[in-house]
Amino acid sequence: MASRKDNLFQICIHAFFIILALMCLMPFALLLTTSFTSEASIVKEGYSLMPSQWSLEAYRFLWSDIDNIARSYGITILVTLIGTFVGLSISALLSYPMSRRDMPMRKQLAFYVFFTMLFNGGLVPTYIIYTQVFDMKNSLLALIIPGLLTNGFFVLIMRTFFQNSIPHDIIESASIDGAGEFKIFFRMILPLSLPILATIGLMQTIGYWNDWFNGLIYITDSKLFSLQNLLNRILLNAQFIQNNASTLNAGEVSNASIPLETVRMAMAVIGVVPLLCAYPFFQKYFVKGLVIGAVKG
Amino acid sequence: MNKRTNGMIAVLLAVILVLAACGGNSEGQPSNAGSTGNTDGAAGQTAELKPYELTVAFLSIGQIKDLPEVQAEVNKITQAKINATVKFLPIDIGAWQQQMNLMLAGNEPLDILVTSTGLNFGTQAAKGQLVELDELLEKYGADIQKVVGGDVIKAGSSGGKIYAVPSVRDWAADYGLVMRKDIVDKYQIDVDAIKSLDDMTAVFQTIKDNEPGMAAVLPEGPSFSVIQSIVGSVIDPLGDENGVLVGFDGELKVVNWYETPEYASLVKKARDWYNAGFIPKDISTNQTTSEQLIKANKAFAFMAHMKPGYESKESLLAGTPLVAARISPAISTTSSIANIMFGIARNSKDPERAMMFLNLLYSDAELVNLIDYGIKGKHYEVKEGNIIGFPAGVDSSNATYNPTHGWMWGNQLLSHIWEGDSADLWTKLDEFNNSAVKSKALGFSFTADPVKTEVAAVQNVKDQFKIGLENGTLDPESYLPEYIAKLKSAGMDKIVAEKQKQLDEWAAANK
Repeated sequence: MASRKDNLFQICIHAFFIILALMCLMPFALLLTTSFTSEASIVKEGYSLMPSQWSLEAYRFLWSDIDNIARSYGITILVTLIGTFVGLSISALLSYPMSRRDMPMRKQLAFYVFFTMLFNGGLVPTYIIYTQVFDMKNSLLALIIPGLLTNGFFVLIMRTFFQNSIPHDIIESASIDGAGEFKIFFRMILPLSLPILATIGLMQTIGYWNDWFNGLIYITDSKLFSLQNLLNRILLNAQFIQNNASTLNAGEVSNASIPLETVRMAMAVIGVVPLLCAYPFFQKYFVKGLVIGAVKG
Repeated sequence: MNKRTNGMIAVLLAVILVLAACGGNSEGQPSNAGSTGNTDGAAGQTAELKPYELTVAFLSIGQIKDLPEVQAEVNKITQAKINATVKFLPIDIGAWQQQMNLMLAGNEPLDILVTSTGLNFGTQAAKGQLVELDELLEKYGADIQKVVGGDVIKAGSSGGKIYAVPSVRDWAADYGLVMRKDIVDKYQIDVDAIKSLDDMTAVFQTIKDNEPGMAAVLPEGPSFSVIQSIVGSVIDPLGDENGVLVGFDGELKVVNWYETPEYASLVKKARDWYNAGFIPKDISTNQTTSEQLIKANKAFAFMAHMKPGYESKESLLAGTPLVAARISPAISTTSSIANIMFGIARNSKDPERAMMFLNLLYSDAELVNLIDYGIKGKHYEVKEGNIIGFPAGVDSSNATYNPTHGWMWGNQLLSHIWEGDSADLWTKLDEFNNSAVKSKALGFSFTADPVKTEVAAVQNVKDQFKIGLENGTLDPESYLPEYIAKLKSAGMDKIVAEKQKQLDEWAAANK
């Protein structure tokens, strides 16, 4: 009797989560199939998981711009790697001292970080400072630096982690054994903090990977476009041409017959796939238990 | 105590930020000016002009990979004629508003920029971000005034002063219906007999009865309504359709368009068409262009605002021959002219030179062709007379310079004609512009800033009702009164009054 009740419960739970999982997966599957559908069959039949006509025309359209797309992939990967590494280092190096109770002025420091989460200079002053004082317009720094300096949220999460999840006893015992501050930080704290480092690292990776806004305002040189920025521009240009086809003359319309619906999806696919591949490498850290056994007795 | 320290830190930070911003401004400028020097002086007539680099921002639309080469060629011309070099700054439409606002606010090197009513021209002029052109035109813009004379150039004015010059292209539009030729022939529809919306109804009925699965009529595109494309044949929208002039020969009386009997009868027509099944039921969610729907055999015709050569271009897009029935003459309003203009930025260190360059764009055919089509022999080849096309082995998929932006650069009539268009395209276009019915308010442009809040509120209401009413998906019986009431409470009357006031002032100044 009890086991039957259990079974029913199991089935319900499973059904619920299967449906939930499908709800997450279906849009993505639709995205993928749409990108491989021919534009004509989308116009005729609408979006479908099993389109009547498969086609690579969207990818062919993007392939015709392969120089730019390959370069922008390179830019995005470079910016993401440097940005994540440097950003993670800065966040950890700032939040660890803030977590130590024996650090003077830690409350003021925390407020200083917190303040940046609430207020910022606004777009125009920020832009003027970055372009005229630091001369970062049209340079890779413009893609990296802004992302480094606006993550007060990450710093506070990390501080909380250091404070609550790493017992102070570990630090004490290490210093009794003769370890200096740097040794404690690099040999004890960091290895114990892999879960939080992976979490923040993933968030920064996603942030850098998906960032198009900094490119939008600081970059006018097409050689420095990041992937998202480039895709966004290709799409908006194609849309503009289609909507304003009446301004063009006959000789100029060649650009206007772009398979827009499918190209849109194909862009999303090539933008998201690399990140999807990177995710499993971070995932293994999320579930790892941490200090179990480090302070017993 | 603690709170107090925090407060002090906040104040301190604010002061530091402000100081940093000021420091940035004053330090930034000289370093910018340094980059404008140029050592390649030219002799002769330009000896008295110092070398100068003009930064010219334009909308980047098509393929411009070889822009640096084209720029080098352009510089040969400009150096000889006005001892200036040009630095082109292509900006994508998606980034335009953002980057242009920042460049103007940040006082970056920028001399000439593309502007239009849709790209914030009114605000730029009102804020003083553009240079007044009246005197400069008098001194250095003789050729511009020759080509863009009289009323036309006033389209780029604000508060009685000229701030931008329109490019020479289609300054007018005529309105009507674009149909598939094969179907027109099949049912022996007399295209010339279609002179009104009622004539169209009969045609649509034929299609509906005989061609199941084919929509009889569509809007011009996903963001348009069926009515939208032909409204221009009835009213002068005076910019944004909030407060319009009905008819083109009446007095200058601004009215709320949506309250007029003309509007009511138009939306009733749309409703009838919708109910009769001429307009597809899913029209409000459609995102596909009309040309593509025609290509896919899903539609017969669409409403359009047109210009000479419109059908031949649309036929290419739709992949099947199209014919057009025009139900109105060509009509020219401020909006149709102020679509694309060039202005001189306040940032410019040498507005006079910028004007000289603009003047070249309206007089120097070599320069215009270079910018529009690239380098002869490399990016295009002369096919016959004035007709040009891609060189052998080049097409639009592998072209390295195919910007498709002739309509943006000065006098398009000076340029070659791309194959596919008829050889007399420019003559026809010129006639079209000259013969167009001119709105009484041609040259007047509305400055929306005094009623900004109301315009935004009215826009929200329009987003909610306009397309639905004009595509017939909403019943005008009940929704039109609601629409009008909501417009009124959003402040439409105030906008109309303000517009009337500005129009009266404009009329008095132009008597």
